[in-house]
Amino acid sequence: MTMTGSALDRRKFPAPFENYELGDPFDEMFHSSGAPRQHYQEIYDFLLDLPAEELRLHKQAADQTFLHQGITFTVYGRDEGTERIIPHDLLPRIITAQEWGKVEAGLEQRIHALNLFLRDIYHEGRILADGVVPRDIIYSCKHFRREMRGVHVPKGNYLTVVGTDLIRLPDGEFVVLEDNLRVPSGVSYMLTSRQVLKRIFPKLYQACEVRPIDHYGQALLATLRNLSPEGRPEPTVVLLSPGVYNSAYFEHSFLARQMGIQLVEGRDLVVHDNIVYMRTTSGLRRVDVIYRRIDDDFIDPLSFRQDSILGVPGLFNAYRTGNVTLANAIGTGVADDKALYAYVPKIIKYYLGQDAILQNVETFLASDPTEQKHILANLDKFVVKAVGESGGYGMLIGPHSTKEQQEEFGRKIIEDPRNFIAQPTISLSTAPCFVEGGNIEPRHIDLRPYILYQGEKSVIVPGGLTRVALRKGSLVVNSSQGGGSKDTWVLN
Amino acid sequence: MFYSIRHVTRFQYSSPVSESVMEVRMRPRSELLQQCLKFELHVTPRARVQFYRDYLGNTVHYFDVPGHHNRLALIAEAVVEVEEPKDIPVAVPMAAWEAIDAIWASGELYEFQTPSHFAQPSAELDKLIQELGVDRRENPLTLLRRLNEKMYSAFEYAPKSTRVDSPIDEALVSRKGVCQDFSHIMIAIARSLRIPCRYVSGYVYPRSEQDGRSTTLATHSWVEAWIPGIGSNQQGLWVGFDPTSNCVCGDRHIRAAIGRDYADVPPTKGVFKGRATSELTVAVRVMPTNAPADDKEELVLVPASNSGSSPVADHHWEQMQQQQQQQ
Repeated sequence: MTMTGSALDRRKFPAPFENYELGDPFDEMFHSSGAPRQHYQEIYDFLLDLPAEELRLHKQAADQTFLHQGITFTVYGRDEGTERIIPHDLLPRIITAQEWGKVEAGLEQRIHALNLFLRDIYHEGRILADGVVPRDIIYSCKHFRREMRGVHVPKGNYLTVVGTDLIRLPDGEFVVLEDNLRVPSGVSYMLTSRQVLKRIFPKLYQACEVRPIDHYGQALLATLRNLSPEGRPEPTVVLLSPGVYNSAYFEHSFLARQMGIQLVEGRDLVVHDNIVYMRTTSGLRRVDVIYRRIDDDFIDPLSFRQDSILGVPGLFNAYRTGNVTLANAIGTGVADDKALYAYVPKIIKYYLGQDAILQNVETFLASDPTEQKHILANLDKFVVKAVGESGGYGMLIGPHSTKEQQEEFGRKIIEDPRNFIAQPTISLSTAPCFVEGGNIEPRHIDLRPYILYQGEKSVIVPGGLTRVALRKGSLVVNSSQGGGSKDTWVLN
Repeated sequence: MFYSIRHVTRFQYSSPVSESVMEVRMRPRSELLQQCLKFELHVTPRARVQFYRDYLGNTVHYFDVPGHHNRLALIAEAVVEVEEPKDIPVAVPMAAWEAIDAIWASGELYEFQTPSHFAQPSAELDKLIQELGVDRRENPLTLLRRLNEKMYSAFEYAPKSTRVDSPIDEALVSRKGVCQDFSHIMIAIARSLRIPCRYVSGYVYPRSEQDGRSTTLATHSWVEAWIPGIGSNQQGLWVGFDPTSNCVCGDRHIRAAIGRDYADVPPTKGVFKGRATSELTVAVRVMPTNAPADDKEELVLVPASNSGSSPVADHHWEQMQQQQQQQ
């Protein structure tokens, strides 16, 4: 039998792309016709010319670097070997200047509106009184901190470090999947991936004119210093970590080193007469700004969870008085609740009078009886998420689930509707990845840019962390669920 | 009426502790019919006492004791004036339900509508509601008066029958409890009837030896429910019900703090560093007066079940670090 027809011909790629299959999702590198996109031409040509053996050697060299630098994270819920090297893909993901311009403007707008929203709900609550956002969603959210009502936050900035997850629809448009407004992680992978790739592909990196991201650490430090209480000059900034058992401990130590600040745990700090001090070998030293990577619940056993020994007793009262700044502020999680997400376009409209530049994914709330029915009838098609979870825990991906899993989620939804939302399963865009065996195949990816919010304007380092679902066909990109990372190049 | 209140709290530790940090909610509130004329909090060992106002308008004092200590003593002294409420009728019209439903739907009193830490619905609670036969057939005020009475007869007041952190199911099963249990159960029932209801922590001056159910112990607690259409401008009032003493609150109840339930307003709450157990003793004296009390007579301290202060335990260490979410 002879194969004929253009459909097959145009999908036939040369080595090392011979196994590359284009499907319905948007592919970052290729047009649906099979021709490489213009901004990928440079790397496409480079890969065609590169002997297969050399590509493997590059991969080995990159893995070695990650291993030696100890770039690891911890997977919970497994018995053995919980600490792992972050899986990493060799090939950069490329974004054009034009696409990035829209993403940047969209994020700046969105985070500014969310910050105004936080200030409002912890003070006058205008948006609630006006019925734009239901009170129930706020007050029933486990991340709503009633203790923050009426508390003044320096410069009114509740948000400082934000990581917002974006995906591409099949037509190539970037949309927001979720906001991470509490303790977003992963920025260290972004920075280290870049360091490694610059070393592995120096010429390619030069030729592509990639926008730099190395200033992130200094930009973060400047943002934190700017939050010094009452403008105290030369503030002492520290990074508060839950400790070495935490999944992101590598990142905590990495960032502290990048900024040249102390990495502390709760037991290293003490509050006396409403002032926070750090215990040092030469005595107590006053602390002005804390970049905290501990959840609200655990940050102060006096005000929040009393059984927490990770926190600092009395810290919240020092914070309330304005003697120390916490970044991010307490209580920001109420604005990244997955049920509130559905209201973000309205929130942007309400505070800024503008339409959202970046769209949301269509979202159904199980707490709404009509929408709940719709969700239960389509469990095999939707992605169902528990609103308070993060890191890909507590999630059902309908098309990839068994009947039993669907039934189990159906029961959970009926038991606790407030806790669940559903979204249509979106095939994330694909990008070329170097896979076992030396070939290059498409894998699903998302994008998490990091926003340093400073009020009206933000600093957003170009790109962010591209997370990749390394298993073929998988849509789960979270590092806690076996996802990996990719360097992200925004071109000039 | 003018009262002087002396509230002594003493923590005795089994071995020296350090870095005690404590919050105190004892200052009588100043609003409407109650004015706090004087309040002093003395702490031994000496500490600098500061305060803030929480979002419910309670005054919260706090301090820390960094050095080693075996004992921590607090003496709170207050002078307060309380007037008897004059405009609480025996009953309100049935139409009051509509006003209650309207405020309920608006969510303005959201905090006092939904189940809270200690006031949770349960099968045992449903059984009691059935048994008491309380429902919306009567007007809200009559209903609450009746509920108050029924709570008083259905439960035995039994000091030390429950702990400070007991869920209400314990009292619901044994039908015994202290004022805290009476209050939590009544709050849970009122909220299940869709009446906004809150917890009050404070002091009471007994009418006679017999109804001194609570004053022999430390502090007292009762509930307040929102009744629309009454008060000077018919704007509605929070009416106090004391199910432990079977009365509607008047000028003998002195309000220190309000909250969703006890979890929001413990008189003391603290943590310390050290491997020690703490023993808490408390004494309260409420006296009618015209001026601040000047006699420094020693009060008899009574052991209380409220541990109030908890050590920081090492074994939670790893577990809690793992519970930390990193987004």
